[in-house]
Amino acid sequence: MKQIRKYLSGASALALLMATAAAHGAPPAGRLLASQCAQCHGTNGQAVSGMEKLAGESEGEIYKELIEMKARIKPEEIMHRQAAGYTDAQIRLIARYFATSGKVSTTTTSTTPTTGTSSRNKSRGDD
Amino acid sequence: MFSHNRRKLLQVSGALAAAGSVPLLARAQVAAPRVVVIGGGFAGATLAKYVRMWNPKIQVTLIEPNPSHVSCILSNLVMTGALGMNAITLRYDNLRSKYGVSLVADRAVGIDAVNHIVTTQNGSRIPYDKLVLAPGIDFDAVPGLDTAVLPHAWQAGPQTLALKAQLDAVPAGGTFVMSIPPAPYRCPPGPYERACLLADSLLRRRRAGRVIVLDANNDVVAEPHTFHTAFQTTYASVIDYRPSSVVTSVDWANKTIHTNWGPIRADGANIIPPQKAGKLVVAAGLLGTNPATRWAPVNPLSYESTVVPHIHVIGDSQGTGQPKSGHMANAQAKVCADALIRYFAGEAPDPAPMTNSACYSPITSKTASWLTVVFGYDAASGLMKPVPNTLAEAPAPSGDHYEDMFGWANNLFADSFS
Repeated sequence: MKQIRKYLSGASALALLMATAAAHGAPPAGRLLASQCAQCHGTNGQAVSGMEKLAGESEGEIYKELIEMKARIKPEEIMHRQAAGYTDAQIRLIARYFATSGKVSTTTTSTTPTTGTSSRNKSRGDD
Repeated sequence: MFSHNRRKLLQVSGALAAAGSVPLLARAQVAAPRVVVIGGGFAGATLAKYVRMWNPKIQVTLIEPNPSHVSCILSNLVMTGALGMNAITLRYDNLRSKYGVSLVADRAVGIDAVNHIVTTQNGSRIPYDKLVLAPGIDFDAVPGLDTAVLPHAWQAGPQTLALKAQLDAVPAGGTFVMSIPPAPYRCPPGPYERACLLADSLLRRRRAGRVIVLDANNDVVAEPHTFHTAFQTTYASVIDYRPSSVVTSVDWANKTIHTNWGPIRADGANIIPPQKAGKLVVAAGLLGTNPATRWAPVNPLSYESTVVPHIHVIGDSQGTGQPKSGHMANAQAKVCADALIRYFAGEAPDPAPMTNSACYSPITSKTASWLTVVFGYDAASGLMKPVPNTLAEAPAPSGDHYEDMFGWANNLFADSFS
């Protein structure tokens, strides 16, 4: 019992430290790049409606999909043009950020849609 | 990078085990950095939210007189009656309750850039370490134009409903005149979208006379394929598109619009005046000494003014040459937020920021088009430049795009305001 309490106090000290490190250190790699997806795919990749959610997708999945999109741009796909804007290395950072932040993020961003009735679920890639 | 941080964390963790947690807590309680934001549109709201979300140790105060923002995005659908005002009214409550932004419901009237103090209409003096201006746009006067009588509706709100009333009052077979200012102005495809929806609305009510579109530019500014097609085919019987046409004055007592090509009689009108940076940007001297400068010059790595230090300008008032839109304002706000956080940590801004634009325009009551581009920082020129192969418009308007438009808008609204 005593040992458990000791473990817990260690864990909260670590949490405090992580918060402090985050407060003063460099922003996580890929965060700013990934935030540019949020206009359509929701804050931290948590889409509110009508667009694909990115949070928690695997790194490999997001990376492969974006690389394929920019390699074969279809004129009717807006997302293919977006993918074409980023280097492979930037796409790797974005994919890694969403894959990781979706699992550790504590920020909830679910909100009620304010407008419209879009229910068609955007399928990914070349729909 | 990741492993480096982790190693650093482990080292500090070891130090903590030795020293205990109290000294660390005390050290963290140095005075919190203060960011003050003026203007709660897409730029200001996103900046306030993201600074707090990414670093809650920074105090953020948003000075904005209105209790909510009324979005220009989708506002042409309020003009046609497809949506109500509630659909485009975005409240600030979440910025306070979810992110801890301090809201000051007041109008900023003065900036003391030497002592870092903003003064408000009600006499408050609000100190800042970093000031972010996001005041949107201001307008040139058009001789004879009274916007209380003829609303431009290029800032959404009461004017949106006043424009709807103008449209609803056009008699059968009547003439509606609208004008497009010289670029750059807020929302490049917006005026052409409005022309289409004016025509669609008149056609659907079987009242179609004419919509005369006076464009101060020598061609369609955005989505030329989409809008030329709409004007020449979809709305060929209604829209009369006239490039290089400038409104010189308005005589609404006689229902006459004067142009560089002569006078035009109209039953209804929507004159959108030429645009420039918001009043506070001008008052703070951020345009510099060249009187021809209409938008604030900034460093696109941080959006800090190149004229006055520690004042940043984001959204429509900034002069990087990126399109002026809610989506772009949101994009720039994140770059600025990241740069502010790094600044307070003693670091330089991200050296290679990216921004993107994506927007959907309704073309009819059931279809929409889209326009997109990605910008990257070009170190050689110091400018944000479009990445090759990313600037594109939808090949044709469609019902799917119309539906996607709401998915885009809902996510953009939520990402900026909640």
